[in-house]
Amino acid sequence: MQIFHNLNIDWLGKRKIFYVVSISLFLIGLISVIVRGFHYGIDFKGGTEIVMQFQKPVNISQVRKYVENIGLGTVELKTFGSETGVLLRTELQNIPRNIFPKILTNMDQVIQTVAPGVPYKITDSTASSVTYSFANPDTANEMVEKLSEAGYQTGKVSEEPSNTQVVVNVSIAEWIKDNLRQKMPDNSFKILKEDHVGPKVGNELKTQALLAVFISLLGILIYLAFRFKFIFSAGAVLALFHDTLITLGLYAALYGVIPGLNLEIDLTVVGAFLTLIGYSVNDTVIVFDRIRENMKIHKNMPLKEEINMSINRTMSRTILTAGTVLLAVFVLLIFGGEVLRAFSFTLFFGTIIGTYSSIFVASALVYEYAERTKKKIEF
Amino acid sequence: MKELRFRIILILLAIGISLYLLYPTYQAYQFQKNIDRTVANRIEQIKKEDPQITKLQIDNKTRAIEDSIKSSDPSIGQAFQKRIKLGLDLQGGMRVVLEVNTGKLLEKIAKSPDDNFKQVMAQAEKEASLSDESVVDIMARIMKSKGIRLSRYFGNIREDDAQIISDLKKDADDAVTRAIEIIRNRVDQYGVSEPSIQRQGTRRIIVELPGVAREEEAKQLLQGTALLEFSLVKDPEFTISVMKKIDDVLAGNDSTSSDTTTAGKAETKVAKNETKKDTANQKMTAEEFAKKHPFFSVAILNQKSGTADAYVKADDRDKIKAWLDRPDVQKIIPDNCQFVFSAKPFGYQNGQAFYTMYCVDKNPQLTGGVITNATATISPESSSPVVNMEMNSDGAAEWARITGANIDKRIAIILDGVVYSAPVVRTKITGGRSEISGMSDLKEAQLLAIVLKAGALPAPVDIIEERTVGPSLGQDSITDGFRSTIIGFVVISFFMIFYYHRAGSIAAASLVFTILFIFGALAGFGATLTLPGIAGIILTIGMAVDANVLIYERIREELATGKTIKSSIDNGFSKANSAIVDSNITTIITGVILYQFGTGPIQGFALTLIIGIIASMFSALVIARVIFEYMVAKGIKITLG
Repeated sequence: MQIFHNLNIDWLGKRKIFYVVSISLFLIGLISVIVRGFHYGIDFKGGTEIVMQFQKPVNISQVRKYVENIGLGTVELKTFGSETGVLLRTELQNIPRNIFPKILTNMDQVIQTVAPGVPYKITDSTASSVTYSFANPDTANEMVEKLSEAGYQTGKVSEEPSNTQVVVNVSIAEWIKDNLRQKMPDNSFKILKEDHVGPKVGNELKTQALLAVFISLLGILIYLAFRFKFIFSAGAVLALFHDTLITLGLYAALYGVIPGLNLEIDLTVVGAFLTLIGYSVNDTVIVFDRIRENMKIHKNMPLKEEINMSINRTMSRTILTAGTVLLAVFVLLIFGGEVLRAFSFTLFFGTIIGTYSSIFVASALVYEYAERTKKKIEF
Repeated sequence: MKELRFRIILILLAIGISLYLLYPTYQAYQFQKNIDRTVANRIEQIKKEDPQITKLQIDNKTRAIEDSIKSSDPSIGQAFQKRIKLGLDLQGGMRVVLEVNTGKLLEKIAKSPDDNFKQVMAQAEKEASLSDESVVDIMARIMKSKGIRLSRYFGNIREDDAQIISDLKKDADDAVTRAIEIIRNRVDQYGVSEPSIQRQGTRRIIVELPGVAREEEAKQLLQGTALLEFSLVKDPEFTISVMKKIDDVLAGNDSTSSDTTTAGKAETKVAKNETKKDTANQKMTAEEFAKKHPFFSVAILNQKSGTADAYVKADDRDKIKAWLDRPDVQKIIPDNCQFVFSAKPFGYQNGQAFYTMYCVDKNPQLTGGVITNATATISPESSSPVVNMEMNSDGAAEWARITGANIDKRIAIILDGVVYSAPVVRTKITGGRSEISGMSDLKEAQLLAIVLKAGALPAPVDIIEERTVGPSLGQDSITDGFRSTIIGFVVISFFMIFYYHRAGSIAAASLVFTILFIFGALAGFGATLTLPGIAGIILTIGMAVDANVLIYERIREELATGKTIKSSIDNGFSKANSAIVDSNITTIITGVILYQFGTGPIQGFALTLIIGIIASMFSALVIARVIFEYMVAKGIKITLG
């Protein structure tokens, strides 16, 4: 079997059509980015995220009602995987001041249950911890153990033998878990995943991610300029911009549209974009490689014919190589599980757009440049 | 045929090395299955004996039993060390990024901090939370703008600001080193297998604790406060007599071999089953000695040293700890003493690290809160490394009394239960300034200085990022990942065979080798397999056949011009070369950048992608070509669909 055998189409003659298609795709993307914006994952935004697996199926709106009035403002809720999985997220770093008294009362109850009647006083409290002072070091040590056993992150203030103070960390995650345990006593849950990211980390990562994308593009630009001609390399990198921006636009446009597909930009997705940059240039290189070869053989053929012939001759392999990768990514999209879904999605659509641009955009840009500057390109 | 020989040898070599590198992974998998079974049986038994047992206790027991089985046989340890490791996202565990709170540290160092100072610090910390600038610099800037000299709070009056800033920065840097040392010390004792503790940038520490089931407990390990104690080392006569008693008890129990209730006993049994082959070759006398003197066979005394410091193999420490915890042994150990191990091994023999075991006073003479400073230098007199230790006035008075009463005795410096040094007291030390010598190099002296400061100046750390993956999510990810790999492989192979017939099946066969090489290289590099890493492998499967497609399409083109099959194949391979190499190098470029940029899981992805591309190029350009040429030479018909 052979596809696209003896293809003979004047692609460059139709390049205006592809310009229109690309520009409209790009504009649609741009508009959705402006109107709908990006949704960053916890890696970039910072905050707290908990994924829990309940024993029985849960009703998301029910859980939402429970967490709405625990003083954390809006808490994002989503199903995770099956209908027993729930993902909760808040951008808050620490527990808001106004609900602190509630937490203290809650802690009082906890201390009363684990050690009834033990005398103590609060010596200090910060946004993320409460320090209790007990009568003597032995009681303090005992309380550390008991509170840890009860599921609280507890520690001694100092390891000196005379220490009587105990710090209990009160995090947002603990507060949410406490409340859900109380409100849903008949449906217990276990924690699949718990992430807490500070605000500084997120900002640093954003800069780093942008830098990584930029350096990748630069690296490819330099390598291709060295192997081909600068104009080819510029065409390839412009095509890459095109692929990345349209896929990003798709992200903004489709966020929250397809159920079960969580299109948030997190670290894994950035990884997918970088891979996309590295891979989608492959098809462009295949076409350019053929143009280079043809130019050496047919020195006097007009550039337009040369490029058209190269595209036609390599069409079958471009489609096939992209096709096999798409097959693999499709398997990943379907069977790869919840964690990899956005990653696979990026690569799936990115590869389709990348293949399109390799065939119809990159070479057209080279031709456009040669036409306008009336320069002869030679190898 | 001859021209193929070299390449065939190369291929066989690559396959052989991959299999060799993967063998420990297979071994570790088998070991783990056995260990899980043994542990499950033991826990079942423990539950039967004590139905009241709490989950926390079961967790601890499980960990203890598993650790002691793993340490009982060096070959298990080796297999685990050389296997392909699973990332936290696959096996579950905790990743915590800590940042040393320089602001709090400065508050602690400052002389008589007043409200003004606190105001400055509050502002500095606020600014620091938004930028990368060092807190010391920010504070110095604010002080300057307010016209306050730094010497008002730090250093002494004669020093200028620049000098103080550089001193404070050194203090901040020390605090990070100290925090790392404290955390490493605790994590080692806690028994987390394969923890990773790394420093990142100037004041961050990344701690990865695989498979930690109890988050709360693990987080306590990461706090910056530590207990430093000075305890007298017991007299050799006393220690040896205690050891003899322990030895007798252990040897006595050994003869009544029906006793299986004690944990230590059951473990040695398991160990024996697994090491039977190794020990059978050893001399009977060693075995007899071990039977008569179980304690002295693992805690080796050096008669000539004049001390009762016992040398213990790294792997035997857990065994000794389990023995010492036995109620019958506990009964005969006097109340006023305890056995503690050295923090670092003192030497190696046959690849095994040896630790020192000391017997010290249970009640410390002094705790570390009294130490005000400790510095490591090279002594000008002896030109050997020493540590200078300073104490506050309370401490100095106590220290004079302690050293005066214990001349020529040894005092162990213990941090969080392990001994960092046990120097001999030469004279009575008054005034609180002591010099500790006997370190082998400056590095060791610096470590001791860090440890000495740990009691007085805790390194306050904040958790700025924390990620926990539960074991069940990890298990799901492994299942999903491997299922996708297999489905991906089958689908792609099927497509290639369908489209290229016999040539397609060669592509499918070289795909098998590509996957083998990827796993072999992962094991060889000691890399960690993560979920994105598995995704990288699946993606590589899709990309690997690209090279085959390029070559086959080229061969078809050549065939269409009427060339023979042999020259078409030669031309196909050589003409497709440049496109294959150029396109793959661009992917490798981004892979390398991704590796630099990413953390944990993403690095795993970048690594598998890079390895996968290189392996697939080898498979397509060397293996597939050899198969083609072989078939041509043998006259086997090649069909390209």
